[in-house]
Amino acid sequence: MFMSLLKLENITKRFGGLVAVDKVSLEIQAGELIGIVGPNGSGKTTLFNVISGVYPPEEGKVIFEGKDITRLPAYKRAPLGLGRTFQIPRPFSSASVRENVAIGAMFGTLSGKVSVDDSLEIADRYIELVGIKAHKDKESGTLTPVEKKMMEIARALAMKPKLLLMDEAMAGMNPKDIDSMVQFIKRIKEEEGIAIVSMVEHIMRAVVGLAERVVVMNFGAKLVDAGTEEALTDPRVVEVYLGHPPDESKWKSEIWKK
Amino acid sequence: MNNTISKYYPLIPVLGAYLIMFLIGFIMPGMWQMVALLAFYCALGQSWNIFMGMTGYVDFGYVTFIALGTYGMSLGISYFSQYEWLGVGIIAIGFIFALFLASLSALLEAFIALRLRGAYFAIACIGINEGLRYFIEGAKIWGGSEGIIFFGALTQALGRDTVNQLTSFWADFSVFIIAALAAFLNMYYMRSKIGYALTAVREDEDAAKVMGINTNKYKTIAFLTSGWLGAGVGAMAWGLKLGYVYPGDVFVIHYTVECIVVVLLGGAGTLLGPVVGGLIYGLSKYWLAVIMPGFQLLIFAPIIIIIIVAAPEGVVGLMKRRLKGTKLEMFIE
Repeated sequence: MFMSLLKLENITKRFGGLVAVDKVSLEIQAGELIGIVGPNGSGKTTLFNVISGVYPPEEGKVIFEGKDITRLPAYKRAPLGLGRTFQIPRPFSSASVRENVAIGAMFGTLSGKVSVDDSLEIADRYIELVGIKAHKDKESGTLTPVEKKMMEIARALAMKPKLLLMDEAMAGMNPKDIDSMVQFIKRIKEEEGIAIVSMVEHIMRAVVGLAERVVVMNFGAKLVDAGTEEALTDPRVVEVYLGHPPDESKWKSEIWKK
Repeated sequence: MNNTISKYYPLIPVLGAYLIMFLIGFIMPGMWQMVALLAFYCALGQSWNIFMGMTGYVDFGYVTFIALGTYGMSLGISYFSQYEWLGVGIIAIGFIFALFLASLSALLEAFIALRLRGAYFAIACIGINEGLRYFIEGAKIWGGSEGIIFFGALTQALGRDTVNQLTSFWADFSVFIIAALAAFLNMYYMRSKIGYALTAVREDEDAAKVMGINTNKYKTIAFLTSGWLGAGVGAMAWGLKLGYVYPGDVFVIHYTVECIVVVLLGGAGTLLGPVVGGLIYGLSKYWLAVIMPGFQLLIFAPIIIIIIVAAPEGVVGLMKRRLKGTKLEMFIE
């Protein structure tokens, strides 16, 4: 039978009276590249946290490769193949870049199969891949924000995940960096053969270039789930971002100009 | 292969220091008591540092382990000294009791207190320590507040000469062994998965969990190791050496504070730190007590403050920074 890599069934997460994620269902296939878009506070990060096990949802199920992992603690999910990066990079500051990435290799899906030395070798490979080889032995806390982001990606990739959740990988970057980041994400998706869910708040340039499929969230609920072009030209989505029904032709040309 | 051995080079200065201390005490007459005191501080610092240095959790109730170690030794000897055929084996039994009590308490504390963080963890540990003390006194178990005096039983079982040797030499010698063992375990943990996992825990525990690290497991490993070593020191340096135990004497937070001072002076999370800190603290305490008895704390407090302000990473932390990029770097950790 055909089985999705990750399946969310009616996920609801509340914080007190606030419904952060509201009955979201989503299916992700192996090797897919999905963009999750939505304004600030629309529940994207909460959804990521539910998937990676930071907290359990009040309702609904998280199913990874056919296995119900809704109540599984976070540390047991990573070895199954769930990797993630954080919105604000969270390096293990006192450890070197190399050690940080090696920690990913040690406790990811290779957990128990690789020695410390093997992990350091794997780390070297991914550090080179993300292009921060020059900073390999630096304390990770001393990196620049962009370097920290790249290190987090290397760390998540070293976990050899099947699904990589990228939380705002491109926030705060200039257009040139965004373009190269988009190319980079596409490349690692092909090379590593993993599914990537990339979360983007409002950088349409990134979404358009990157994703094959876009999920738009608003007020915790899934608004649209469709192919990139279709999703981004959907009047409801445009309304979320611009606040009023747009002049359709103008909006379309704006997006596709690039 | 060469690579594997060179990873353990930082053990050389630590074990070297212990060896020199031992030789000084062994060869020079009249020095043994001072060296034993230094070894005691080094061993405690080294043991406490395994947990605190690696996880960043400050265990204010660490003295619980030392106290339970003392009780383990006392109970072991006082119960088993009636079996003459056991000989010095009763000390081994006492040591096993010490480790057993420490394990029980470590697992219980890990279950309750390790879920807490920062100040809450520290307070919970103090609470457990005080609670245990008053429980022993109030419930009158293990002799209650009168404690256990087993020196007579020990002398009866092993003879005066053997006991004399045990208390004046072997008890202190075993503290050296425990200190060396602590250094070795600390080094081994640093170089293994445990060390990497605990670094992640120390820096960002929630991120560590998402990275696939079973944080509770690794914290418990470090806590248990640290507790065993502390209990070992207590069993030997307090239990066997003194021949008695009173709850009011052993469950004293003051000793935890001494551990903290030793480790912070030398450098938290470093391998050599507790040795350097133990030497500085032990020597100054010893000499100040000789030169101006009663005033040692008055002088010592400002010295500690100055060192902490001038070198917040401790003496070894400072050394590490100075030696970065030189050939000596690989010997200091």
